Amino acid sequence: MSAKPRATGPGTQTGNVIRDSAMGLIPETVDEIIALNGHVWRDSLVPPSLLEIIRLRNARTVNCVFCKSVRYDVARRDGLSEDRAEMVADGYEDSALAPREKAALALADAYLNFPAGMAPDGAARLSCTFQPAEIASMLVALMTFNFTSRMAVSIGGMPEEPLPITEVSLAISTS
Amino acid sequence: MTDAPTSISLDAHLAIAGPAAESFARLWRTLWRQDHLPAELLELCRLTMARLHGDAGEQAAANIELGGHAPSPGRRDAVLSGTALDDPAFSPADKAVLLFAEYYWMDPQSITDEAADAVKAHFGEAGLVMLIEALGCIDGRIRAARCLRDLTAAAPAKETAHVG
Repeated sequence: MSAKPRATGPGTQTGNVIRDSAMGLIPETVDEIIALNGHVWRDSLVPPSLLEIIRLRNARTVNCVFCKSVRYDVARRDGLSEDRAEMVADGYEDSALAPREKAALALADAYLNFPAGMAPDGAARLSCTFQPAEIASMLVALMTFNFTSRMAVSIGGMPEEPLPITEVSLAISTS
Repeated sequence: MTDAPTSISLDAHLAIAGPAAESFARLWRTLWRQDHLPAELLELCRLTMARLHGDAGEQAAANIELGGHAPSPGRRDAVLSGTALDDPAFSPADKAVLLFAEYYWMDPQSITDEAADAVKAHFGEAGLVMLIEALGCIDGRIRAARCLRDLTAAAPAKETAHVG
């Protein structure tokens, strides 16, 4: 991973971490990316704690140091304690997470794997656990989380060591 | 809906997710209408990802967002056969972008400074950022489409099991 950022932000200090990042260099897309992030969280068909679980699974897989350190306030308020957040590690199937949470993580892994996709038994488990609209909602969230975390890694300049766990307001990336 | 999902047809399959899906669809359409990178080159990136994912459906999908900017059959075939980086029909700028796409697909952590600098030399910092955004959308949509395909394929078996 490059220690030096390959692109810098537009020099703004709006308080929105997306607009002030290198993504702010692309006026054609930055507003929609911010809007997308807001829709993913505010209009999701699954609860914020479930979204946070798959966001953290993605963060671990992509190894985005920033993403791994963040905990969104909306997920905390929805009941996702740090103990439960840590259960997204490998071996989550044997954890105390609820069946819906484990099924959501299995979807995240199916999305993130090489090759992406799921075996018939995994697909059947997911279909038995979630409505089609909930699955669609989680897939849009996964695309968004994966897109932004891989953006951060690709741009570079990320610390190698883990950062402290920090609770942040959703507003830093949606308004 | 009967067609197998690909990155091109994904929005119709995800529309039931509501405003977030609509927003992602708008972002997708914007990628093909920006001024930082040619749409034809982004389409070659999509085909590169389709090849790397080993996804025949994705390779065969016709990109309706391209308008009159579709790659020539020769350039398309070279990308799909994995020979573009050695092909004189591709410019250094084309090759810089396609090589970056291969690194990105493998793992963003594998991207070298040289590969990123080569893209910036031709398209600037904004071009590099635009490329990373586009690759993220393309790869994500291919992955989501593959998951949906597997879910669809498993559905008839489940219904049969219920009937039986």
